[in-house]
Amino acid sequence: MQTIEGLLLDPVGCLAEFPSGPFHEVAVRLFERKGKASRSGSRSYWHLLNLIEAAGVPLEGQRKNLAESLEAEAVADASIYEDVLPVLAELRTMGIRLFIASSLSRSAVTNFIERGSLGEFLSGIWTRDDRLPGAAEGVKSAPLLAALGGASLPPDKAMFLTDTAEGIKAARIAGVHPILMMNDPDEARRLAMHKPAGGVVSLHEIPDFIRLIVAQNKSRAE
Amino acid sequence: MKKISIYRPSTVDEAIQILSQHGTEAGVYAGGTDLLIRLKNRLHQAPTYLVDIKTIDNLRYIKEDAQGGVEIGAATKLAELADSRLLQDKYPMLVEAVNKISSPELRNASTLGGDLLQEVWCQYLRGGYSCWRNGGYLCYGAIGDNSYYHSAMGGRLCYAVYPGDAATALIPFDARAKLATPQGLKELSIEQLVPGDMMVDGRIQSHVVRFNEILTSVFIPPPKPGLRASFEKLRPRGVWDFAMASLAISLQLRGKTIDDARVVFGGISGKPYRETTVESFLKGKTLSAELGEQAISVALANAAPLKYNATKIDMAKGLLASGLARLNA
Repeated sequence: MQTIEGLLLDPVGCLAEFPSGPFHEVAVRLFERKGKASRSGSRSYWHLLNLIEAAGVPLEGQRKNLAESLEAEAVADASIYEDVLPVLAELRTMGIRLFIASSLSRSAVTNFIERGSLGEFLSGIWTRDDRLPGAAEGVKSAPLLAALGGASLPPDKAMFLTDTAEGIKAARIAGVHPILMMNDPDEARRLAMHKPAGGVVSLHEIPDFIRLIVAQNKSRAE
Repeated sequence: MKKISIYRPSTVDEAIQILSQHGTEAGVYAGGTDLLIRLKNRLHQAPTYLVDIKTIDNLRYIKEDAQGGVEIGAATKLAELADSRLLQDKYPMLVEAVNKISSPELRNASTLGGDLLQEVWCQYLRGGYSCWRNGGYLCYGAIGDNSYYHSAMGGRLCYAVYPGDAATALIPFDARAKLATPQGLKELSIEQLVPGDMMVDGRIQSHVVRFNEILTSVFIPPPKPGLRASFEKLRPRGVWDFAMASLAISLQLRGKTIDDARVVFGGISGKPYRETTVESFLKGKTLSAELGEQAISVALANAAPLKYNATKIDMAKGLLASGLARLNA
């Protein structure tokens, strides 16, 4: 693996545990999705993104307002992982550039960053509302591609942390290394079958992960 | 099995030169009970160039120095430690621990150095999974079956337990390891030698020995009068198996009063886990039948078991109680 220069982070499942209900409700009300909400906020979020992507048109007008108000509820109820602040601080000290690359709306991401006091660590924020001119469509991988393009970050020098199969796929489309957040061991065992580039038990392992790659590349060069 | 080359140096200096030449592609070959199995299992991380140190004649000995300490050459067989009258007289707990390492056949081949520096026995690594120690970037033990070979005390990328018993048993004696390096002799405590999950030369390993360094001997200081020690080990089967949990404990006694203590758990963490909270608790206490129950109430407070291995912590606490009871008997 190339030495890592940047980390792409989606608040959902990577920086915080989100409730499932609000994402499910968007899916029910805008896309007539049936059935019960998943227990996992991440899974509901990525299912919703599948639906948005399958519809083929961006959310606009009242539909956009409804989605954003329910996402705001999700952000308000999200539990930010306790290791987020120290890890982001450590990564910044190591010279790693940190970007939010999320398919949440810009307003939801902005609220989340304010809630977690994360702004000082971030080099850029890319959401589903931000697209580079001429960038590929697709609500899932577009923020990743936009972040890479906007930051002039080579994809093979970037990691995207995710805890879903869809997240792994989106990272692959963008060409970045998908790193599995193994929040739930049983779910992670299933997701390991999707061959992520790596996996961590918690965010605090990321600095060591990056240091190991540096050490491996140095050792090979010698 | 991949093609390998074997070097047979006659001196430690020559061995270091060969290791330096091949970098992390080379590995020290002594008893072979770990290394040859890694090769046989076609592990990506197994070395291509083996440096056979059995041909170096000053690495296999057990000798007493003028002050009553004992030095053991790193290539000394475990069976030779188990049969040593000198070790039996001075450090019976160490001999007891060595006798509980794998099987008699393997003790005839395995060396002290090999036991101290052996690779972990996680079934995913040994099964060729592309994990942190085998060219990959994921710990399958953290998300798979972690009931036997994985840490209940947290981890650093890799969650496998440190498997050796000799290190666990040597720490209570404040033993030290001597390493030959390109820069000269280096001396470390056993705790410093195997701190667990270290990043060394771009690899995750349990010990700090670099690719071009060789563990040459272990020195055990003379035991002080009043030292009593015990080794306990729980394993799925009576022979062969690695510890589900083990305990090496030593008490420096004045009558029944504990002046000093060493409490080291094996099989529960990525390193021999020295439980300093219990050591502090025991200091100044009177050795009694009730002490075990009191000690376990303060033990392993920062345990972080994985999904299937919380029982290791219960086992370790049980060993602490039985170890103290044994020393009180």
